[in-house]
Amino acid sequence: MSNDIACSHCHLEFNESVLIKDGEHYFCCNGCKGVFHLLSDEGLDSFYDKAGKTTLTPPTMQYEDSANFNAPAFYDKFVKINSDGFSQVSLIIEGIHCSACVWLNEKALHKMEGVIEASINFTNNKATIVWADDVVKLSEIIDMIRAIGYNAFPYDSSIQEVQANAKRKEYYLRMAVAIFASMNIMWIAVAQYAGYFSGITQEIKTILNIAEGILATPVLFYSGWIFFRGAYYGIKNKVVNMDILVATGASLTYLYSIYITVLEQGEAYFDSVSMIITFVLIGKFLEVLSKKNAADTLDIMGKNIPSEVNIVKDGKIISCKLGDVAIGDIVVVSSGEKVLLDGEIVKGSGSFDESNLTGESEPIYKTIDDAVVSGTTSIDADIHFRASKDFEHSTLSSLVSLLESAINKKPKIEQIANKLSEYFSSVILALSFITFIVWWIWPHSFEVAFMVGISVIIIACPCALALATPVATLVGLSLGASRGVLFKEAAQLETMAKVDTLILDKTGTITVGKPEVIKEKIYKEFDKSILYSLVKSSKHPVACGITEYLKKEIDIGEYILDEYIQVPACGISAAYKQSKILGGNLKLINDNGIDFDFESDNTIFYFTIDGEVVAIYELSDKLKSNAKNLVSNLSNKGIDVVMLTGDHEKTAKKVASEVGIKEYLSEQTPENKSTYIEKLHKDGKTVVMVGDGVNDILALALADIGIVMGSGSDIAVDISDVVLLDDSLSSLEDAFKISRTTYGLIKQNLGISLVYNAITIPLAMAGYVIPLVAAISMSVSSLLVVGNSMRIRLKWNKN
Amino acid sequence: MDDWVISMMLGVSIFLGAIALFAFLWAIKNGQFDDEEKFLNASKFDGVDELNDAVNQERKKEELKKSYRPE
Repeated sequence: MSNDIACSHCHLEFNESVLIKDGEHYFCCNGCKGVFHLLSDEGLDSFYDKAGKTTLTPPTMQYEDSANFNAPAFYDKFVKINSDGFSQVSLIIEGIHCSACVWLNEKALHKMEGVIEASINFTNNKATIVWADDVVKLSEIIDMIRAIGYNAFPYDSSIQEVQANAKRKEYYLRMAVAIFASMNIMWIAVAQYAGYFSGITQEIKTILNIAEGILATPVLFYSGWIFFRGAYYGIKNKVVNMDILVATGASLTYLYSIYITVLEQGEAYFDSVSMIITFVLIGKFLEVLSKKNAADTLDIMGKNIPSEVNIVKDGKIISCKLGDVAIGDIVVVSSGEKVLLDGEIVKGSGSFDESNLTGESEPIYKTIDDAVVSGTTSIDADIHFRASKDFEHSTLSSLVSLLESAINKKPKIEQIANKLSEYFSSVILALSFITFIVWWIWPHSFEVAFMVGISVIIIACPCALALATPVATLVGLSLGASRGVLFKEAAQLETMAKVDTLILDKTGTITVGKPEVIKEKIYKEFDKSILYSLVKSSKHPVACGITEYLKKEIDIGEYILDEYIQVPACGISAAYKQSKILGGNLKLINDNGIDFDFESDNTIFYFTIDGEVVAIYELSDKLKSNAKNLVSNLSNKGIDVVMLTGDHEKTAKKVASEVGIKEYLSEQTPENKSTYIEKLHKDGKTVVMVGDGVNDILALALADIGIVMGSGSDIAVDISDVVLLDDSLSSLEDAFKISRTTYGLIKQNLGISLVYNAITIPLAMAGYVIPLVAAISMSVSSLLVVGNSMRIRLKWNKN
Repeated sequence: MDDWVISMMLGVSIFLGAIALFAFLWAIKNGQFDDEEKFLNASKFDGVDELNDAVNQERKKEELKKSYRPE
């Protein structure tokens, strides 16, 4: 391959003879050539230095008319007016490979008249573009992106996503301030504590107090604003939450410390103020960070649906907007295309992939008068069908709207820490108030009574309680990640630990999802390379199964076959040298006048040479390893295991009995599955759904926890709560174990902080707590909780 | 004398730290850390041209702001 030359634009290598030569440059296509010259003319050719050897996708020149982007309806939906009055749109840019691509797009757009801002996120390929609409139109901007070899399509930047990002940013800002101030207060506090032991003049002490006070002010009022806000909502809803405890504790301590500083006697507690706020803020941030971002899911669903279909009108094929197709229109679907509307076939035949609806990968053969369903994909069928419903009412769009409602219907299980903190906060506030009153009535001055009252709140520092859950779940999340189990949200660990029903999909979850050869019967010796050449180019799952099986044989080669014909729903026929070869099901060989009798529950593949059956392969969808163990282990733990499948009763029964599942339902549509889960919810069950395909998404979205195999379809992965990266059932078991361990850990941590409080609060109420002890014990309680969580991690890593 | 020295040192060091903090806050608000890939690659594409471009872009925005009349 020495004479392969790289295209000057896309850097893909081709043989010299097929390249277009232009001066010293070579191009693979006119698209690349066009882009290359455009970039040189615009002075943007330093792009190629920046891109280095990265290969790019050659630009295609077929796009829908960009004038559509100027339609008012389009502007209404996607274009927003920003605060300066300029237009703003969010785009997803296709074809970004490297940071040089980002550079090129931004540069090219910035050069345009009227474009004010173009910023592209390299990680998710999303771009925000701001422009003056009277100078340049959106269509021209998109034309520019296309001209330099990329494509762009707008997406509705959902408010949810924007909010999630804004919230995270808010936390970053507040934490930066809190951490900066706390660290500075700490080194000032070192001087304070040293002075406490070795003596310090009151003047120096006051200076240090003032410095600490200045630093603690932004921590309390800027970083701690979140707690004041939370406390306000808590009071409004008549709930005593943790925020009230933090806010009152911190602000009382702050006021008291100012009082001490002004009075120039006693100890100020500014360090406690900033430490409480910083620790609890970090705990809160950990929770925000591990919240699932459901924002992008529906984007992707929408992206997968093309906006146009081809219909036949007046004998001509024209493209038509999906929403404009009326009932009775004749729609054209070619092989490889998605069916977007429901209807009946009027012309043509072929096989369809209905796995989106049934979960089964076996293609279904359809011919005239058969119904086609939206959401399925044509494998080899070129058909015309009459639409029986418009897009609004099609199966596909009802699936999308069901999905939207399923996401909203997902039950929320209250977390143990939230419940606990409510009681805890009320009790502490009450105790400190009682302490204050008792000390005041008993012959003590206001100052002493106030200080003892406050020391109860400081000692009961909610740090440990606030850190208990986030630290434990963080350990759980990282344990999961190291074992190929991705929990998308921390709260799900706790929910999963409470699960009592497990629903499994069959194909792809319990079974591998692909037929594999389990038995080979050879009647007459033959050259296996002939069979290999026959099945290799077919995409049918049975053929793939045999190809995989034959690959293991030694001496497998490839021959060139003639008259290669794929007979739909039957098999393949071809000629090798002078002999006619057939490979397929019983119908294929019977149609060719060959009689053969063979009984089996499994799928049978017959291979004949010149009218004689030479070999039979039995194929079956194998169970995943340790499927049986999983079912029995989980049943022992008191979890009901149910199997739901779109497959036939016979296969379902066989698989269920093999793995030991007592309860199963067969021939389930996506809607059936979700109603089944709703029924379980009504009975008060907590449900885990495990699936892999588009047919499971409704159930996955509705279940308390949706678990999906990593190799599952993109939409299923997006909608799920937990992803099993290695597709294995042992990691499903791990997921259960990890969630239960984490839940146990949360309870331990909460227990530690409560026991700690039970010991120290009486001491504080009795007035025995000196400032130094208060400060040290605060850190110790937090360290205990963190240390306990680390202990679990170490224990797990040892196994 | 001691008091004066210690307050001076505290004041100056906290002030210097605060400047760094505000620069950091400004950068977060500005979205400079939003895209970690781009942030890490930024140094590769930094140069005189890019700075000029950024300034021109700002100028363009100001001009458009003056003349822009939304419909």
